[in-house]
Amino acid sequence: MHKKMAFSFPDEVLEHVFSFIQSDKDRNAVSMVCKSWYEIERWCRRKVFVGNCYAVSPRMVIRRFPEFRSIELKGKPHFADFNLVPDGWGGYVFPWIAEMAGAYPWLEEIRLKRMVVTDESLELIAKSFKNFKVLVLSSCEGFSTDGLAAIAASCKNLKELDLRDCEVDDLSAHWLSHFPETYTSLVSLNISCLGSDEASFSALERLVRRCTNLKTLRLNRAVPLDKIANILRHAPQLVEFGTGTYTADVRPDVYSDLAGVLSSCKELKSLSGFWDVIPDYLPAIYPVCSKLTSLNLSYATIQSPDLIKLVSHCPNLQRLLVLDYIEDSGLEVLASSCKDLQELRVFPSDPFGAEPNVSLTEQGLVAVSLGCPKLQSVLYFCRRMSNEALVTIARSRPNFTRFRLCIIEPKTADYLTLEPLDVGFGAIVQYCKDLRRLSLSGLLTDRVFEYIGTYAKKLEMLSVAFAGDSDLGLHHVLSGCESLRKLEIRDCPFGDKALLANAAKLETMRSLWISSCAVSFAACKLLGQKMPRLNVEVIDERGPPDSRPENCPVDKLYIYRSIAGPRFDMPPFVWTMDEDSGLRLS
Amino acid sequence: MELQLGLVLPTPNMLKGFDLNNHGLDQLKEMGGLAAWNKAAGCFADKDCVKSKRSFEQAFGNFTEECRTKPLLLWSGQPNEEEDHKDQKKATFSTTDENDAEEDDQVVGWPPVKTWRKKIFQQQQQPRVGRAENNRVAENENGRSIYVKVKMEGVAITRKIDIKVYHSYQSLTNSLITMFTKDKKCNEDDYILTYQDKEGDWLIAGDIPWQNFVRSVQRMEIVKNWG
Repeated sequence: MHKKMAFSFPDEVLEHVFSFIQSDKDRNAVSMVCKSWYEIERWCRRKVFVGNCYAVSPRMVIRRFPEFRSIELKGKPHFADFNLVPDGWGGYVFPWIAEMAGAYPWLEEIRLKRMVVTDESLELIAKSFKNFKVLVLSSCEGFSTDGLAAIAASCKNLKELDLRDCEVDDLSAHWLSHFPETYTSLVSLNISCLGSDEASFSALERLVRRCTNLKTLRLNRAVPLDKIANILRHAPQLVEFGTGTYTADVRPDVYSDLAGVLSSCKELKSLSGFWDVIPDYLPAIYPVCSKLTSLNLSYATIQSPDLIKLVSHCPNLQRLLVLDYIEDSGLEVLASSCKDLQELRVFPSDPFGAEPNVSLTEQGLVAVSLGCPKLQSVLYFCRRMSNEALVTIARSRPNFTRFRLCIIEPKTADYLTLEPLDVGFGAIVQYCKDLRRLSLSGLLTDRVFEYIGTYAKKLEMLSVAFAGDSDLGLHHVLSGCESLRKLEIRDCPFGDKALLANAAKLETMRSLWISSCAVSFAACKLLGQKMPRLNVEVIDERGPPDSRPENCPVDKLYIYRSIAGPRFDMPPFVWTMDEDSGLRLS
Repeated sequence: MELQLGLVLPTPNMLKGFDLNNHGLDQLKEMGGLAAWNKAAGCFADKDCVKSKRSFEQAFGNFTEECRTKPLLLWSGQPNEEEDHKDQKKATFSTTDENDAEEDDQVVGWPPVKTWRKKIFQQQQQPRVGRAENNRVAENENGRSIYVKVKMEGVAITRKIDIKVYHSYQSLTNSLITMFTKDKKCNEDDYILTYQDKEGDWLIAGDIPWQNFVRSVQRMEIVKNWG
C-alpha cells in the first residue's frame, strides 16, 4: 500500500505526466521513486533501449514492459567494426524476435546495431507485427535481399527502412518490386549498402513516385548518375538524399537535367553517396549547397581543389564527412566558411600506405578547432600530431563532447619534441569538461591515464590502443572516470592487478573489451567466480585457455554486466568464466 | 612494479600556458601513492559482499606488497604470440606495400577503419592482374579509377591521383597546379609535365591524344623547364 500523501494523483494523471518523459535515463529515474511509480511507468513505457543484448533476456524485458512499441538493441562490441571479433561470436536477434512475436503483435519499431539478422528473423517480423513501421539495421549482417522482400511484401504501414553499413547478401535487386502497388507510406529508405549491379530502376522509380511522403532516400552505388534525375523528379520534397555512383561520361544534357532536378528540391538539407565522383558533375549540386546542413563526401575520391570549391558553397554546414584529400588547405577554407560546423570526420584515403599521400596534418584540425565555434564532435585520421597542437585545440574548443583522434602509425610521438602525447591529450580532458567520448592514439605513457582519471569525469566511452606502460594506467581510468560506461583496449601492457583491484567498477559499466594485453586466464577465472553479475568471456581462437598455463594472457576478453546470467549461444572459441570455473591460482 | 608518486612538471617551452592546477596535482599524487592501492583493494568489495572482501584478501594476501615486488608481466616465458607481436608491429607496418589489399602483413584492425569503408577503398584500388610494375598504383577493369603517382621536383610528397577523373590535359594540369602550388610557390611557366609510358620512356605530356595518354601513362613528374 503506498502512502497517501496530500498530493497523490490518480494513475492516469501520472501516466499522462510520464508521457512527456522520453529519455531512458529519466524514465529509469522515474521508476525508482517508489513502487507505485515503478508500476505505472513500466506499463506506459513505449520505447525500450537495451545497450547490450546479453545484459538482459527478452523475456525479462517483456515481463517488465508489457506494452512497448519500440525496441533498440545492440549486439557485438564496437571493436567488431575493425575485425577484432571473430565471426560467429554472437549477437543473434532471432530469439528476441521470437519472444516478441509471441508476446504481442503491436510492436512498431525495431532498431538494431551490430547484430546478426537472418532472413528467418526478417520473415518473422513481416509476419508477426501488423502495424510494423520502422526497421533500422546498423552494421548488421546475416540476411539477404530475400528477407528484405518479405518485409516489403507484408509491412503495409512501413515508414522507415534503413540499412546502414550492413553486409547484405545481394541475391536479387528485384526485392524492391515486392512493395505492393498500393503501398505508399514510405518516409525513409536507405539502401546505400546494397551492392547489386542489376538494380531495378523502374521499381525504384515507381516506388518513389507513389510515396509522396518520402523524406529520406539514400541510393546505392549501382544507381547510375543519369538515372538520378528521373528518380528525383518525382521527389522534390526530399530532405535527405544519397546519390549512387556520381560518375558518367561528361554530357551536357545529363548535366543540365541533373542540375535542374536538384535545384527544384527546395527542402534538401543532407547529401551523401558520391561514389566515383568526377569533378565535372559537382557544380550540379551548387544550387542546393546553401541550404545543406549535412554532407557526406567520405566516398568521394576528389582532390582538394574541388572539395574546397564545394565546401565554400555550404555556409550552413553542420556536419561534414570527408576523405583526407581535403588536406590542411581545405580544412582552413572549411574553418572560414562554415561557422555552424558541429561535427567533422576526416577519413584516410590510404590507411595502409607507409608514406603520406596527402598534405593533411595536425594543422587542419587546429584550423577547424580555432575557426568553428560550435564544433563538438571530431573523428580525425592523420599521420602526425604535437602536444602544442592538442593544447591549442583544447583551449580553443572546450565544448568538445566527442574527440577521436587516430594517428595512423601506432606509438607516434610528438613530431616536434619527440615526447609522448600525454600532455596534449591531458589538455583535451582538462579543458573539455563535457567530453563524453575519447579515442587515443600516438605515443602515450601511464601519465595520460592519470590525466584522464583526474579530469574526464563525464567521459562515457574510451578507446585505447598501443598505449601505457603498466597496470597503473588502467587503474587510473577505472578508479577515476566516474561516468565510464564503455572501455575498449587493445595492445596495451595492462594486466591482472588493475582489473582485479577495480572489479566492482565493472558492474557500473556496460562493458569492457580488452585484447592483446596482459590479462591472465587465472585472473579471468577469479573475476568470473567472484562477480556473479558480470559475464566474463574469454575469446581465444588458439584453443581452450586451460590448455595453457594459467598465468598465460588470454587473447581477448569481453566483460559485461548482465542480469541474464551467462549466455548459451557461444561459439567454440568463447569461454565464459562463471562461478563454477573454480579458483586455481598457480 | 614502479608506482609513480607524482607528476613530472612539464617544461615551459613545451606547453604554452597549460598547467595543471594545484588541486589536480594533489589528487594525482594521492592516486599514485600506496594509499590508492589500499583503497583499490578494498573497493573490490562493495557493501553487499562483505564476505567476498574477506575471501579476496585471503586469496591475494599482501596485495599491495605484491604490486611493488612482483614483475608486471605474469607469464613465465611460455611461447606466446602476444610478446613478439608488439615488437614486430613497427617492422610489419613499414613493409606494407600501399597496393597490398591483403591484411596478412598488417596489424589486425588497425588503423580503425570500418570493414565497410575498407571494402570500398579496396574496390577503388584493385590492382590489375598481371601488372608487375607498381607505379601505376591501381586500375579498375570497369574503368572506374586509375590511380597514378605524380611527383614534383623539390617536393617531398608524392601524390596519387585518379586520372579517370579528368577528360583533358587542361583539366589535369589545372588540378595539378592547384595541388602542388600549395607545397611549393612557383610560376607555372617554369615547369613542364612529363610522364613515363608503358615502354618506360619519359615523354612530355600533351603530344598524344588524351585517351591514348590515359591508357599509357604509368607515372608523372613535374620538372623544371630548362628549355
